[in-house]
Amino acid sequence: MDITAAIDEPAADDLLDTAIGLVTIPPATGSGALGPFVASYNASGALSPGDVDLIAPATIRIDDFRLDWNLSFSFGIDLSTFLPDFCLPRVCVNIPCVGRVCTPRVCVDWPTVSVPVSFSDFVEVTADFGISITESGGVWKVEAVVQGVPNLQFGATTAALLAAISLAVTPILLAIPFAGPFLAVAVNAILVAIGIAGITGFLGPILSPFVSGLRIPIYEQAKNFEAIPAAGATDPAVFVTIDDVRAEITSTDEDELVLAIDIS
Amino acid sequence: MISNTLDSRALGFGDCYGQRFMKPGTYRYDVVSAGGGSLVTEHPYTIEVAEAKGEATMKQHDVMLTTKERRFVADTEVLTINEGDLVLWACADPNAHAFEVSGDQAFFGNAALTNECGYSHAFGTPGRHHWVDALGGPAEGVVSVKEVRCSTPAELASWRKRLSRGTLVMINDGKVEPAEINVVVGQRVFFAVVSTEPMTITDSNLVGACRGD
Repeated sequence: MDITAAIDEPAADDLLDTAIGLVTIPPATGSGALGPFVASYNASGALSPGDVDLIAPATIRIDDFRLDWNLSFSFGIDLSTFLPDFCLPRVCVNIPCVGRVCTPRVCVDWPTVSVPVSFSDFVEVTADFGISITESGGVWKVEAVVQGVPNLQFGATTAALLAAISLAVTPILLAIPFAGPFLAVAVNAILVAIGIAGITGFLGPILSPFVSGLRIPIYEQAKNFEAIPAAGATDPAVFVTIDDVRAEITSTDEDELVLAIDIS
Repeated sequence: MISNTLDSRALGFGDCYGQRFMKPGTYRYDVVSAGGGSLVTEHPYTIEVAEAKGEATMKQHDVMLTTKERRFVADTEVLTINEGDLVLWACADPNAHAFEVSGDQAFFGNAALTNECGYSHAFGTPGRHHWVDALGGPAEGVVSVKEVRCSTPAELASWRKRLSRGTLVMINDGKVEPAEINVVVGQRVFFAVVSTEPMTITDSNLVGACRGD
C-alpha cells in the first residue's frame, strides 16, 4: 500500500521553520589563525528560519536563514613585535650640598600579553539542501541536508570585530608601564596585522561547520509501529511496517514536497 | 610583567636605591626579594669605605643587579669607596621581581630610608600618585603623571628628550620639598632623603590607613 503526502511551499516553509528552530548546534572549541596570531576559541551558534523555495526534482533552497553566533577567543601578542625598543635614559639630578647623582640607563623588555575578546553577531545564509532518506536502527528518517559549504559573507562583521579587538587590546596596553605613549601606534599595528583577511580567515573555519554539516529533520518514523491499539482479546493491535520512503520535489501548478511511503 | 609600583621598600624596574657612606668601615649587605630583608642572615656583598683624604668630592658608584636562578646577583662583590661616596643599586633585568637591598646596619637598606640616601622611581602610568610614609611619619607628596601620545617621530623625540630630565624631591626631617610635582609618563623622580626618622615612599593605595584620602 502507498501513502502519499504533499505539502506546498508555504507549508514547507512552516515545517522547516519549526524544524530549524529545533536544530541544536554543538559548541565548538579549538584554535585558529587570527592573522599572525594564534587564537584559542569557544564558539556557539543558533539558527533562525529563512524562506523556503522548493526546486524540482530534489532541492530545497532556504534563503536568508540566520546563524546567530557567539565567539569567545583569546590570543597572545608579543608586544616587542609591535612596540619600539624603549630604554629609560640615564638621568642626573644635582642634589644641594651633595653633588650630582645619576641613574643608569635600563631598557624595557616588552611582555607577551593575552587578549580575551567576546563577540556576538549573526550571518544570513542562503543554502541548497538535498533530501536524505535513511533507514537505520529500525527508524526511517527524511532530512534536508545542506549541499556543499555555503559561503558565509561577514560584511560589516569584520570591521565590528576589529573594533572589538581594539577595545580589548587598549586597556591591556594602558596597564603596561611605559607602553601608554605607544598605544595608538601599537593598536593600529596590531589591527593592520590582523586585517580583514585575518578576520574572515579566522571566522570562516569556525562558523562554516555550523552550517556545512547542517541536517534539518523533516520526517522520522519507526519502521514498525502500532497503527491501531488493541481493542480487546479478539481485536489485537494493528502493526504497520514501512517498507520504503521516497521524497521528491514536484513542480506542476505549484511546487510541492512529496513524500511517498510504502507500507505493509 | 614590568613591575612599576611606587614603593621604596620594593625596588622594581627603573628604580634605584642610593646610599652615601659617611664613615669609614666595612658594610655588608645582601639583595633579596622585597620584604625579605628581616630574614637575611648572610651578607655576601661588601662595601669597604676608606677614609677620605682631603676635601674629596662625592663620587657615585653603581652596582648593577641581575637575576640568576631567581636570586639577585650584584656585579661587584667587594666595592671599595671613599667616605662620603654614594653607592647606587639598580636592577638591569626588566623581568626581575621586586627586590630589597638589606644591609648589616640600621641605616643601610631601602626597607627604611634614613640618612643620606635616596630612591628614584620611573613613573610608567599616568595619574595622580599620592605617596605617604608607610612607617607612619608625616612625609607625603603627590606626583602627577601626565599621559603622553607618540604618534609621530617628532612626538617620540620630544618625549625622549623630556625623559632625560630628572626631577628632584628633597626630604629632610619629614619635610618634603616640593610636595607636589608634575612629570610625564616614563619620567624619573629622585627622592633624596637627607636626614629623618626611618621612612618609606609608598603609594598611598598600598598603605592601609593613609592620611587624608
